[in-house]
Amino acid sequence: MKNMVIRASLKNWFQLFYVHKFPAAGFKTTADGAIILQSVSNDIYQNLAVEDWIHDNINLENMQVLFLWRNLSTVVIGRHQNPWQECNLKMMRQKNIKLARRRSGGGTVYHDLGNINLTFFTSKKKYERMENLKLVVKALKCLRPQLDVHATDRCDLLLNRNFKISGSAAKLGRTAYHHCTLLCSADRFLLSSVLKSPYKGIKSNATPSVPASVKNLFEEDPTLTCQIVMDAIAAEYAIYHQIDHHVTLINPADETVFPGINNKTKELQTWEWIYGKTPKFSISTCFNMVYKHSFLEVKVDMDVKHGRIEVCNINLPEEWLPPALCGELEKNLIGSKFCPSETTALASALLRSCPQDYEVHRRWNLFCENMTTTLM
Amino acid sequence: MALRAVRALGATWAPLPALPALRRPRAAPLPPPLRARTLGPTALLILARKYTDKHEWISVENGIGTVGISNFAQEALGDVVYCSLPEVGTKLNKQDEFGALESVKAASELYSPLTGEVTEINIALADNPGLVNKSCYNDGWLIKMTVDSPSELDELMNEDAYEKYIKSIED
Repeated sequence: MKNMVIRASLKNWFQLFYVHKFPAAGFKTTADGAIILQSVSNDIYQNLAVEDWIHDNINLENMQVLFLWRNLSTVVIGRHQNPWQECNLKMMRQKNIKLARRRSGGGTVYHDLGNINLTFFTSKKKYERMENLKLVVKALKCLRPQLDVHATDRCDLLLNRNFKISGSAAKLGRTAYHHCTLLCSADRFLLSSVLKSPYKGIKSNATPSVPASVKNLFEEDPTLTCQIVMDAIAAEYAIYHQIDHHVTLINPADETVFPGINNKTKELQTWEWIYGKTPKFSISTCFNMVYKHSFLEVKVDMDVKHGRIEVCNINLPEEWLPPALCGELEKNLIGSKFCPSETTALASALLRSCPQDYEVHRRWNLFCENMTTTLM
Repeated sequence: MALRAVRALGATWAPLPALPALRRPRAAPLPPPLRARTLGPTALLILARKYTDKHEWISVENGIGTVGISNFAQEALGDVVYCSLPEVGTKLNKQDEFGALESVKAASELYSPLTGEVTEINIALADNPGLVNKSCYNDGWLIKMTVDSPSELDELMNEDAYEKYIKSIED
């Protein structure tokens, strides 16, 4: 009996496959099965939490899951990446584009509703990224036989040999998952701008991204919408696993179906996870300020560990600002978050302790604004 | 007659199970033998390497365990590009996630073989994560930790048991 999709509610289905209730040895399934899930949420943190939840809670020895999801404008960095190296955080703050760190490895990607995310959950033994990608290519070719799409050995999908339409990442833990993006109708221009870091002088051993020229499927064939593509991939997955082409919609906020998921969602949104997990890095840079016909150079050296400033040296032109004030700033920055709002708050607090000197205040504000804008 | 009888007997016998196909000898080199050392009159034992089912190994010396991943694991992982290790002083329970290795294939979780506290991490891996592939039993060690419950070592596999375990999952 190949079709293991249980017709009962999803909650009951999950209960059959909970890791803790059914140790792999004791649980007998009649055959391998599979299920297709699609998220009703466009929130990156909720959707990443679904991945965490399935990884932690579902026994995948005899079961595979395909999870389909899309998000509103977000930049997603890999587990061991440095967001300051990978994207324009300043622009993202201005345009209200979220930043998320996923638990799998790999490089930085931009998501919006024109991008489809696919997660293939399997046991570690059955972990096979190329097989998954071949399935996606097959689905696309079924839809549009003329489409020139193929998978590279880097596990990218290329359109017309030159343009990347999909990148992959994966996590091997208790079980395995391989997820990939698929550009259907994303904002390619915003993608390029936001994935370009303006921050200079960073030295880090974080895993770097490999930039690529990208294209949308929609640009090749305007009839290819996200929905059509998702349906085609689901259909192909169903054929491959010999199950009904039935896509189960899931709500990642539903604690009755996913007990404990909201804690996972919260954790993914914490500063400690998103920024604090950045591998230790150093910055050595300088920037220029123009002040009353003077051209001033400021040199900054910092070490940042767990997203917090560990070492801080600021070199300003002599006597342009009271040296004691700068010294205090350097001292106070140590241990603080490498973050424009925290730095600005610290700097303002210090200024309040200073005598009301208009000139000093003006210079201080200029200096702090330049520093946070250039570095953070 | 006799032949016929034999054939008849043969017909009722169940066919012998096929012999398992001879496996290709593993390309991986055998792990180097552990050195025995004597320190003065009281020879302190280096306990033989023990393995977890998640392919970590631990070798205990003077109450401190050195942890790494096995050759099977490093081969499966591919080239390691980043090692995420815990802070010194982190307290770990057996099977706690203590870090991850990122390779071109995936980010792979690391699970603590025992309960204890991290005393040292291999800082060479920061600039040279490939050591995990090149020398998984020596220079590519990951962390050192205290052994708070020595009896937990008995639950781990020895060299032979681990070899058998690998063969069973390679099926």
